[in-house]
Amino acid sequence: MTPPLTDVETPTQATVATAITEHSERDENVPVLSVRGLHKHFVLHNVDGRRVEGLNGIDLDVRAGEHIALAGSSGAGKSTLLKCIYRTYLPSAGTVTLRSPNGPVELTGLADAKLAAIRGREFGYVSQFLRAEPRRGALDIVARAGIARGMDRETAIEAAAVALRRLHLDESLWDVFASVLSGGEKQRVNLAAGTISPPQLLLLDEPVSALDPANREAALALIADLTATGVAVLAVFHDLDAMDRLASRVVVMRSGRIIESGPPDQVLHHLEGVAR
Amino acid sequence: MTVYDTARDTAGDTSSDTRLEDATIAYSKAPSAGQPVLRVERLGKIFGDQNLAAVAHTGPNAGTEKSPDGNSVVAAWDVSFNVAAGEAFGVIGESGSGKSTVMRAIAGDHSSTAGSVWMQRRDGSTVDLLTMTASERRALRVDELSVVYQDAAEGLDLGVTAGGNVADRLTAAGWRNFGQIRERAAELLGRTEVPLERMDDLVRTFSGGMRQRVQLARALANRPPIVLLDEPTTGLDASVAAGVLDLIRSLLEELGIAAVVVSHDFAVIEMLTTRCMVMQHGRVVEQGLTDQLFEDPQAPYTQRLVAAARA
Amino acid sequence: MSATLAETLDAVVGAEPGGAATLADLVTEPVDPGILDEHAKREVRRAILTAVCVPGYQVPFGSREMPVARGWGSGGLQITLAIVGVDDVVKVIDQGDDEGVNAVNLRRLVINTTGAVETTEVDEATVIQTRHRIPEDPLSPDQTLVLQVPVPEPLRGVERNMATLAQMHAEADYARMWVSLYEDKVRNGVITKSTGYPCLVGGRYVIATTPIPRWDIPRLHQAPFLSLFGAGRERKIYAIPPDTDVEPLTFDDVPFEVERTPGASCSLCRASEAYLVEIPPSSFGAADGRWICSDTAWCRRRRSEDNLS
Repeated sequence: MTPPLTDVETPTQATVATAITEHSERDENVPVLSVRGLHKHFVLHNVDGRRVEGLNGIDLDVRAGEHIALAGSSGAGKSTLLKCIYRTYLPSAGTVTLRSPNGPVELTGLADAKLAAIRGREFGYVSQFLRAEPRRGALDIVARAGIARGMDRETAIEAAAVALRRLHLDESLWDVFASVLSGGEKQRVNLAAGTISPPQLLLLDEPVSALDPANREAALALIADLTATGVAVLAVFHDLDAMDRLASRVVVMRSGRIIESGPPDQVLHHLEGVAR
Repeated sequence: MTVYDTARDTAGDTSSDTRLEDATIAYSKAPSAGQPVLRVERLGKIFGDQNLAAVAHTGPNAGTEKSPDGNSVVAAWDVSFNVAAGEAFGVIGESGSGKSTVMRAIAGDHSSTAGSVWMQRRDGSTVDLLTMTASERRALRVDELSVVYQDAAEGLDLGVTAGGNVADRLTAAGWRNFGQIRERAAELLGRTEVPLERMDDLVRTFSGGMRQRVQLARALANRPPIVLLDEPTTGLDASVAAGVLDLIRSLLEELGIAAVVVSHDFAVIEMLTTRCMVMQHGRVVEQGLTDQLFEDPQAPYTQRLVAAARA
Repeated sequence: MSATLAETLDAVVGAEPGGAATLADLVTEPVDPGILDEHAKREVRRAILTAVCVPGYQVPFGSREMPVARGWGSGGLQITLAIVGVDDVVKVIDQGDDEGVNAVNLRRLVINTTGAVETTEVDEATVIQTRHRIPEDPLSPDQTLVLQVPVPEPLRGVERNMATLAQMHAEADYARMWVSLYEDKVRNGVITKSTGYPCLVGGRYVIATTPIPRWDIPRLHQAPFLSLFGAGRERKIYAIPPDTDVEPLTFDDVPFEVERTPGASCSLCRASEAYLVEIPPSSFGAADGRWICSDTAWCRRRRSEDNLS
């Protein structure tokens, strides 16, 4: 059992900045994320007390610079796995170990306050949906995400502008309230905010589902760049093409288990028409 | 009579309870880094007959907060939680859950029956609020602990202007320069989006949403490290509430203030807090990360509440 | 001040000096006790002592029924009666005038029941009872000023509840007072409070300075004389001991100003550095100007000095 993080402070600008060490400086041999024997079931007390199985024993490693794509039909447990790692779901059994500056951290046993402190800082979760104040502008949202991870104000605004331009979000939309943006526009803002000054591990849950082909291209290129800079990525995508382009490894799930794992060209060939 | 409990905080708290010469106030000289700014330990409040035996007959299992003989209400019992610096902590529950009781106990609006409320002061020392006199607690409310009430009339003087309500806190903190007071009041009201031309209007003439904004400006006047918000948007029209909620969230983020947000509204808790707890019939039913509580609630009551909110 | 207690007891009981008479003997003696009996006087004196020890603190006392109606100086009267005796010289003024109806009545009451001597000249007086003014002449450490106070509570306009008021004074929580000054300035451009201006005494308690005008406020600061404030209707006594700081409440950047009418001077004695009051031109018969000194005795003395010189 790895000892839990002690004395973790609420992130201030200074502490966040020091925590964001270059990913490549860390020990390459230690996986960024190490999942062992992860189980998850739900008890629906208000239905008839029934038990629903989510994950039935997951073992998985993600290393720096790796992009692991989770494939499988809906209900296979892909999102459940991401949420258990991020601890939006409470795992029922097993361990989730994250590499950190203070040594490995076992997330399932960590106190809530400490987990809240390292979320966003050491590992991030990018869902399909933009969750931000409806009356904030896109540039503001993305810049603030950067500031929260230790960037100074000027750098954050610049980086936010670069990211939004890259994702082809028209500059005229940068100051309007995010709530009036279209689904695709919101999703691009979400992606930019989730990936600016990225932590060592990113969990992506269908982050480009609402984008049309042209914008999807740009978004996938941005995600590809993440792994190039050493970020460890664990992602759920809808389409095979994205997985093919981005993944260093594809992990196929069914009924809460991993049934297959291997390089994209090998695995995806089997999944044609199945992993929709 | 205060019942003390020496249960240790699970988050690695290293405070030692050393009593200073003044034995009437409980102090603890603890290192402030990593310490929560607010630590509530087994807080309890009984209204009516102070009958500790009523505790066993109340709570979620009994389905009520009222004692069988009807002479006591165990409004809150065995409530414990921490709030870190700059963190927003939510207290969610239906009416009768005890959430407002907990808030008022911390605020000092009424006395408590049991437990401790440890607060980290600006100088780094920690003090149990429940051992302080009413005078001392009132002094804290000037610049260390602020409260925003559901009913703005409780937190404001309606017969005074918007600027005057903010000036009230500034002068209480010793501000004596009219120009500076006015400037700071204008700045705060501007930040809480009260139109400048209304700064000299009596608050009585303001709408509910505007009154809440003035309350916020006043609560933040002296930059307190902790603010308590009790149903801050309840009773406001939906569109107005959204704006006030927005404002609260950006203020909390920008100023790095620790907050306790009490609400029955899931949307409010979801938007403002990172961790929260669910109360029912005066007891804590479940506690955890806000997103986890809403997406993977464990307790049957929490599952019921979440399902109802999602419906 | 009154004769020593021992001498009084001797006179009453006829005992040898040094003999053991009691206060009870004094009280049951058949001499006319005047308006205020010795018990009452003792209570008032004790309240005064407390007030002097805690400058600016409103001391509650059992205010007695007086032959003047409540609100007409009964508090000031009780203080004066409690402290004067046959050796005292008493001056009573109302709005600066010895000859006002109320001043005359009060003075008559005091003189007739205490055996003290009356005067209109400040430098002859040992005790000066006043409503609304402090005499223009400087007072000495041997003199006592007794002020009549209708409303002793400076926070009266901002708070009604008695318990809350007591708490505010106890905790020196005067924020509401400051807010009312702020509101005043915002609404009117200046602080408009003219009489009874709130002042901080000895850096601790805020007092209502009775209906004296702003003009007289600076004279209370570090004054060499003792000021006693009596509110009969509200049953409070407070004091400013000699050499005490008295600072009118105002913002650092809003200087405290006294009343001034540029160019005005007294049409009788030509003084311009005194508190002047306006009179309608037709009622006095003055040839020029509509201002005269509020302090009639002072004005009269100036005129007589002019005539002599």
